[in-house]
Amino acid sequence: MKLSVNIGSVQFKNPVTVASGTFSYIQKYSSIADLKKLGAIIPKTVTLNPREGNPSPRIVETPSGMVNAIGIENAGADCFINGKLKELKKIGAPIIASVSAHTDKDFLVLTEKFNKAGVSALELNLSCPNLKHKTLVAQDKNATYCIVKAVVRKACMPIVAKLTPNVTDISLIAQAAQDAGASAVSLVNTFSAMVIDVNKRRSKLGNVTGGLSGPAIRPIALYMVYQTAQRIKIPIIAMGGITNSSDALEFIMAGATMVAVGTASFVNPQAPRDVLEGIKKYMQKNKIKDIKELIGVMK
Amino acid sequence: MAKIQGVYKIIANQKLSSKFFKLSIEAKSFRGKIQPGQFVHVKINDRLDPFFRRPFCIHRVKRNLEILYEVVGRGTEELSQKKKSEHLNILGPLGNGFTLPSRNIQQVVMIAGGIGVAPFLALTDILRKRKIRLVLLYGGRTKEYVFNMKAFKDNGCQIFISTDDGSYGVKGRVSGLFKKIRLDKSTYFYACGPKPMIKTVQEFSKENNIEGQASLEEIMACGVGTCLGCSIKTRQGYKTVCHDGPVFDLKDIVFEK
Repeated sequence: MKLSVNIGSVQFKNPVTVASGTFSYIQKYSSIADLKKLGAIIPKTVTLNPREGNPSPRIVETPSGMVNAIGIENAGADCFINGKLKELKKIGAPIIASVSAHTDKDFLVLTEKFNKAGVSALELNLSCPNLKHKTLVAQDKNATYCIVKAVVRKACMPIVAKLTPNVTDISLIAQAAQDAGASAVSLVNTFSAMVIDVNKRRSKLGNVTGGLSGPAIRPIALYMVYQTAQRIKIPIIAMGGITNSSDALEFIMAGATMVAVGTASFVNPQAPRDVLEGIKKYMQKNKIKDIKELIGVMK
Repeated sequence: MAKIQGVYKIIANQKLSSKFFKLSIEAKSFRGKIQPGQFVHVKINDRLDPFFRRPFCIHRVKRNLEILYEVVGRGTEELSQKKKSEHLNILGPLGNGFTLPSRNIQQVVMIAGGIGVAPFLALTDILRKRKIRLVLLYGGRTKEYVFNMKAFKDNGCQIFISTDDGSYGVKGRVSGLFKKIRLDKSTYFYACGPKPMIKTVQEFSKENNIEGQASLEEIMACGVGTCLGCSIKTRQGYKTVCHDGPVFDLKDIVFEK
């Protein structure tokens, strides 16, 4: 059974990965999940400088999902590269680092840092405000094109553009990323959302608004992956409410090359492994020799 | 220690008062492996709603793992309906529990607000061996929050109770019981309860120059320090209640408005 897939020139041994911000470092999960078997690991987004994150409360439970406003709390790229990244590499699964920045220049500095960090690919979290373009980068196809193009020119590894679903037509943004030379796109990030406490008459989040994730968004995310797969040729890393292998197979059949388990890991730390094992079982049962036979196979 | 995710059988799910329940779970694997103040993360059902696990601090581990809980929302409501011999998926033990006081401490005062009393039984199971004075100040909203505290008495605790409405014990907040304590340099505090109560204890301990720890509660998703959803402000920056806590040094907690 062949499970390997490619992003640019890099081969991953299977299509299952973890969505950025939902995967913990080795010392926390190692005893309960067989991490080494994963196709890739996408750690939490890092920024050039440390970020403290948003005031609490940062999360709210919603029907079949959650709204979060963590605020990309992280210790900064240098600290990550010299510390946690080294620990993550010991797991043995390839790393797709995730970075974000407010300016083109910072994205380029981050790219240079990660060129020397020994990661398999670099995911650009483009769901961040862009000072020049006054929207989220991935809400503007020109901004997406410019940043991806500049990064691709500097980068020694495949570049993945992570897109926000908070747009009119996500496939047009994906097209811009492809035109700029991205090796893949990943979608979707969280949907803008909020929850109000009616007794206190204020938001249940310290940041007022946040992003919805979890099974609640899955059918919408699936549609966006399907829609994007119709337009672009580069691989899609799909995420959005995947909790089991059946969910993951839906995304693969809609056209995704890789699938990332995100919020589900918060409830079941073994969810990524379960997804991988379930995909293998499905392939066995249906006599599928190569996972590529399933990508975009939907009739 | 290794975190265990497993499916465990319910031995009993007793109603202790109109607000509190005690859940006993067959959990041999927890025996001798928990630190008082640690918690377990429980999936209430196999469905997607309620979506998160629910964190409960460990009340006691003897033959079984015991959880003391209050019905506050849909998760605990559903938990209260569980019957003997049903099963629960549990992740734990998680977090950093209470650090035991130094050997020169002669008096430990535990200050509990409502269900915040839960972790102190496991703590007194250890401290009882020390032949020191153990005092429990317990504040509940009404007498419905008062339950049989025989297990605490058996561990040698002197217990003082207050209720907000005066329907049991001293009328008022638990802080009204502070005057019951004979304070000296060999006193140590442990607090667990709502944030305003912890804040009061922090102020009181500062005024009287007494050290202590507090166990905090926050809404949690992962329970293992990954999602950073339960972070609180401390003097060392944001810390996760689930992984860095739930127990913090009283002095370190910064209360946001």
